[in-house]
Amino acid sequence: MLELRKDIFADERDDNLNEVGKPTQRQDMLGHVTATSPYFNDHKLQGMLHLKVLRSTHHHARLRRIDVSEAERQPGVRRIIRGSDVPRNINTLLSLINFGKDDEPSLAVDKVRYKGEPIVAVVADSEREAFEALAKIKVEYEPLPTVFDVEDAMKAGAPIVNETYPKNTFTYHDIYDHQKLRFGDVERAFDQADHVLDERYQMSPIEHAPTETNGSIAAPETNGRYVVYTSTQALFFSLDTSAKILDIPSNKLHFIGGTVGGGFGGKVDTLTEPLAILGSMLTGRPVRYMLGREEEMQYGSPRGGERIYIKDAMSRDGRIIARKMRCIFDSGAYTRLSSYAVVKCAAHLPGPYTIPNVHADVYCVYTNRVPATAMRGFGVTAVDFAIECQMDKLAHLINMDPMEFRILNAYRDGDMKAHRREAKNTALIECVQVAAEKAKWNLSESAKRASSRKEGSSARASMPDSSRAAAPVAASYERPATAPASSFSPPVVQSTVNAPPSAAPPISSPSPTSHGATRFSSVFGRRR
Amino acid sequence: MPLSVKTFDTVHEAAAALSAERGSHFCGGGTLVMRAVNEGDTTLSTLVRVKDRSLSQVRASGARFSIGSGVTLAHLLNEKDLSFLHPVVRSIGGPAVRNMGTVGGNLFARAPFGDLTVALLALDAVVSVHGSYGLREMPMEEFLSGRDANRGALVLGVSFERPSSPDAFRYRKVSRVKPKGASVFSIAVNLPNMGGRISGARIAYGAMAPTAIRAKAAERALEGKTLDQTTAAAIAAVAAEGTSPATDSLASAWYRRETIGVHLRRLLLGQAE
Repeated sequence: MLELRKDIFADERDDNLNEVGKPTQRQDMLGHVTATSPYFNDHKLQGMLHLKVLRSTHHHARLRRIDVSEAERQPGVRRIIRGSDVPRNINTLLSLINFGKDDEPSLAVDKVRYKGEPIVAVVADSEREAFEALAKIKVEYEPLPTVFDVEDAMKAGAPIVNETYPKNTFTYHDIYDHQKLRFGDVERAFDQADHVLDERYQMSPIEHAPTETNGSIAAPETNGRYVVYTSTQALFFSLDTSAKILDIPSNKLHFIGGTVGGGFGGKVDTLTEPLAILGSMLTGRPVRYMLGREEEMQYGSPRGGERIYIKDAMSRDGRIIARKMRCIFDSGAYTRLSSYAVVKCAAHLPGPYTIPNVHADVYCVYTNRVPATAMRGFGVTAVDFAIECQMDKLAHLINMDPMEFRILNAYRDGDMKAHRREAKNTALIECVQVAAEKAKWNLSESAKRASSRKEGSSARASMPDSSRAAAPVAASYERPATAPASSFSPPVVQSTVNAPPSAAPPISSPSPTSHGATRFSSVFGRRR
Repeated sequence: MPLSVKTFDTVHEAAAALSAERGSHFCGGGTLVMRAVNEGDTTLSTLVRVKDRSLSQVRASGARFSIGSGVTLAHLLNEKDLSFLHPVVRSIGGPAVRNMGTVGGNLFARAPFGDLTVALLALDAVVSVHGSYGLREMPMEEFLSGRDANRGALVLGVSFERPSSPDAFRYRKVSRVKPKGASVFSIAVNLPNMGGRISGARIAYGAMAPTAIRAKAAERALEGKTLDQTTAAAIAAVAAEGTSPATDSLASAWYRRETIGVHLRRLLLGQAE
């Protein structure tokens, strides 16, 4: 049974919504079950041509020669498109919001940086003829050293994957190679800790695997406009991206979306629209470009693989007194949306717990792998998995119930978060209590009595000055009455740290309000 | 060259068309061939189809079944007499694939697919093939070993005998995604029992070689034995003999060789996966 605890969330919104807890039919369900939902690929336009791309067979190679002469003479071939035909053959998706440098060509020119990177496009009367022409294109590669591991990529002397970022790391605010979070003094806390747990977590890329693969159909309209039927899940984002790559005003493009046959973040990359429109511009005909299943699985961008190191300091009674994290996100060969995943991750650390000393570095790293992109909570989901695995291990270490362990460490209203913002409307404790109740999991009386509205603020709301001096090593708690028996002595509350951390970094952007990611994230000050 | 589709009324005409042209392939349900077409395999130039309804019939005479190559996997699930094959069929694809995929097509599916073929191999099935030389029947093993060389021949159907007892035929598919994942490997065994002792055992594997294969060392080790812990352990020890599995995204060759014996032992002892 679904229930909304209005006693907890009463102030969250003034709602008279009448939907929660009741089955509601999806608005598109009738169309799906009667096979009448409109998809972009339902448009069979007169004289429609088909576009296919030749993809790199190497993970990293210089392109010495591309010979399309035989392919051009193939029957049915209308046009071969090379990188030099693309008006602005370099782009990065978030450039629309001034975030990051252009780093990815629509069609590779000098070199390929991942296996499957598009090199040449063929526009032909039929898919078959396009495939046959592709087979006639000769590409001479000069293989280059490859790097597939994020930490290898960060080492000095590693192969440079993407010359836009010669250190193989994304550049934040024009100078920083990672996102940084500093709060209190973790090293001091590690010295005082009863337990230290240092673990490594490695995630795998995950493919969105939509039922409908990425694709679009572009066709000339009147007045030099082009209509584009597309599977995109971000219609105007794709429109503006296409307008930029094709160097035309966005009012020359008329994008029509339909049902997105599975998106999950995998249809924001605008993988097909620019080339479909360019094909249409160059031939004057409607052009369809749809990824095959194998292209979608192998080369459509996945969720990135993240490597996460967590080192925690814990006192004997189960309070986490420091958390040090190093997260390295594998962006693949190009940025796409991984730079933003890093910002989200940094905004999320150290999880929903009040930890008085936090230290985190989060990197967006380039490797010769398929570029990663958005997928359902990217930047947060994986790190949460790591954090919660770590929480279980910590609880196990001191033989404490994992649910109670979370209640003990959960943030409470009024606590100071590592981002120097006061925690508001917290409800982790209540969520854990309800979960325990539903699962018939026995909690101690003190855990049952715990509340997000009690025990917060006061010392726990203090703001350590990590760049200079005083920082609490342990937040003050009322110790639960039934905390595990131990030879625990009350922690040193408000102990001070005098040694300044080495290399005190700027915490915020030099000009945060002008930063592109403000539209996305609460980390820059807007709460959604 | 555009892809052409030729549909014939009789098996004879279809077989002639297949052997006449190098790039011609038979298209049954299309779950293999159309995938290749859609993914841009330009070696396919002609798809041959046939309307002959005899290919989509299941016939039984006594304990022997004859199944046309055009019979779909979904059709097999509707045949009550073939209930011993239902677990095999249900382990293949989802309903959409089973509605289209055929028995004949499964014989050509490449590892890690083709689980029905593994069962047919364990059942000592005979394959009817219409080639340029006319109609011929051959054992599954012979068919599979020459499968990729004889592309011009048309498979008409398979026939096999019902297992001697419901317990004699067993099947297990080990996959990482359930219920629709491709095989890490699949195992089918047929264990005719003569007075408590196994006689003429058949053990077949899928995804342990480029085609389905028989585990002959394990079969020999089982001959004349009773099925107990000792026998099962001895068989597990030789289970990987003669196999040449691939390393793919599901499992490494090493993993397949290491674990095949474990799963075979459990299958023989009737233990859970």
